[in-house]
Amino acid sequence: MSIRFENVRKAFGSKVVLEDVGFEVGSGECFFIIGASGVGKSVLIKHLIGLLRPDGGSIYLDGEEVSRLTEKEFFSVRKKCAMVFQNSTLFDSMTCAENVALPLRKHKRLGAKAALKEALERLDTVHMREFANAYPPELGDGMQKRVAIARALTLDPRYVLFDEPTTSLDPVSARRVDQMIRELCDEVGVTSIVVSHDLRSIFGIADRICMLYKGHVRMLGTPEDFQTTDDPVVQQFINGRAEGPMEV
Amino acid sequence: MNVVSATGLAVIDVTRDIRDILRMGARTLRFVVRGRKDRRMIVEQMHQIGNKSVFFITVTMGFIGMILVFQSALQALRIVPDLSLLGATYGEILIRDLGASIGAMMLATRVGAGIAAEIGSMVVTEQVDALRMCSADPVEYLVVPRFLASMVMTFCLLVWACVVAYLSGMVTAYVVFDVNFLTFANFMLVDAGDVIVGLTKCLAYGAAIPIVSAQRGLATFGGSEGVGWATTSAVVSSSLAVIVLQFFISAVGYLVFPG
Ligand SMILES: Nc1ncnc2c1ncn2[C@@H]1O[C@H](COP(=O)(O)OP(=O)(O)O)[C@@H](O)[C@H]1O
Ligand SMILES: [Mg+2]
Repeated sequence: MSIRFENVRKAFGSKVVLEDVGFEVGSGECFFIIGASGVGKSVLIKHLIGLLRPDGGSIYLDGEEVSRLTEKEFFSVRKKCAMVFQNSTLFDSMTCAENVALPLRKHKRLGAKAALKEALERLDTVHMREFANAYPPELGDGMQKRVAIARALTLDPRYVLFDEPTTSLDPVSARRVDQMIRELCDEVGVTSIVVSHDLRSIFGIADRICMLYKGHVRMLGTPEDFQTTDDPVVQQFINGRAEGPMEV
Repeated sequence: MNVVSATGLAVIDVTRDIRDILRMGARTLRFVVRGRKDRRMIVEQMHQIGNKSVFFITVTMGFIGMILVFQSALQALRIVPDLSLLGATYGEILIRDLGASIGAMMLATRVGAGIAAEIGSMVVTEQVDALRMCSADPVEYLVVPRFLASMVMTFCLLVWACVVAYLSGMVTAYVVFDVNFLTFANFMLVDAGDVIVGLTKCLAYGAAIPIVSAQRGLATFGGSEGVGWATTSAVVSSSLAVIVLQFFISAVGYLVFPG
């Protein structure tokens, strides 16, 4: 078992976001986390790489408990577990190639030349090599997302977290990103956790799905389980209905 | 909630803020001594903090110099009809205290808001998280360049603030009260102690403003509204920091260099 959350609890001040969340993700799995905006999906996955610390509970990665590590100790976790953020977090003052080269220089301590050379190869795999010298603000959202994915993959991580990778993309770019995520699981054996509320991606590429609701896991299962469930809250969410029992 | 518990909570909040700010200061200093320093970033920040504040500080300190001299001359005339020492006392108080402190209060708004807004929007757009994912410490990357740039530029701007306020005061004294320039330009009362206290203040304010504002910026949460809050809080906190430092440095200065 490669990733395990156990009784994770997180509050900001008096606002409890995660009350008691637990699930396991298997090796090579494409695991989706779904739920309404603001339930704490981003908060949840940021715990795995130490961007947030839980108030209670434990988180295991490869059998090692990571929830108590120091910021320094998290550096090695962040090498094997990359994250593609919801916002474009490319640095505007650097070209695409320099952005992709940054983790190579910081984590692997490669020289500027060697890092840039490897960055170009990485950009090639997401079909962005011709834009290597462009600055991120000059590119469209879909292209920026691809560069961001290339940056996340530069260190050959075994785990990748995607935070709403297709939100704000046009349908064609969105399906391309889906395809890329699926190929990572099938061909490279990467374990991915994808936060999403894009129904096309959820039912297109997920192996298993976990739905968060009010600080708890409401349902955990395969896409088939979700389509045949009689839980009214889950039904309302996956059918995208405005009327129903779900509180947002 | 009753008054007692509200006061209690406020005290806890303030204590935590002070602790967080001191911690940020300690981490910044550690990286200043040991960390990597990016020349390009520092120069860019010097431009942001320095060049873009020159006009603002010149105009505000020009007006403040006029007001200070005008009001103190009016007060003085009520007691003795002689303004021959006006320039000398004005020079002393400006160098020892008011030039740096009033100037720093102005800069706390301009520089503090800028730093908090810039860092705060990097927090809410997850760029700070992305830096941490690349094993880059946000304090080393974002705070240190601003700190070093502010130390240099705030120092220069505050010295300039004193010069501007002195000159505008001098012109006011001549135009309104007929004190000629040579009588006004009297540095008889200014001694080494005044200069040392004044320069200490310039350095302390230059260090405090970026640290307080960067701490506020990094503590931002919750979208663009959060950035607004962080910016407001940075201006309030860095102005407070300036006043508290002014008090302590003046007190110590008075004990070491009375007069
Ligand atoms: N640093 C923070 N401080 C306070 N509240 C936060 C912070 N980060 C997130 N929250 C709150 O936690 C809740 C969950 O946020 P998030 O995980 O971003 O939702 P989503 O499921 O849409 O990704 C939101 O209500 C948000 O306001
Ligand atoms: Mg989110």
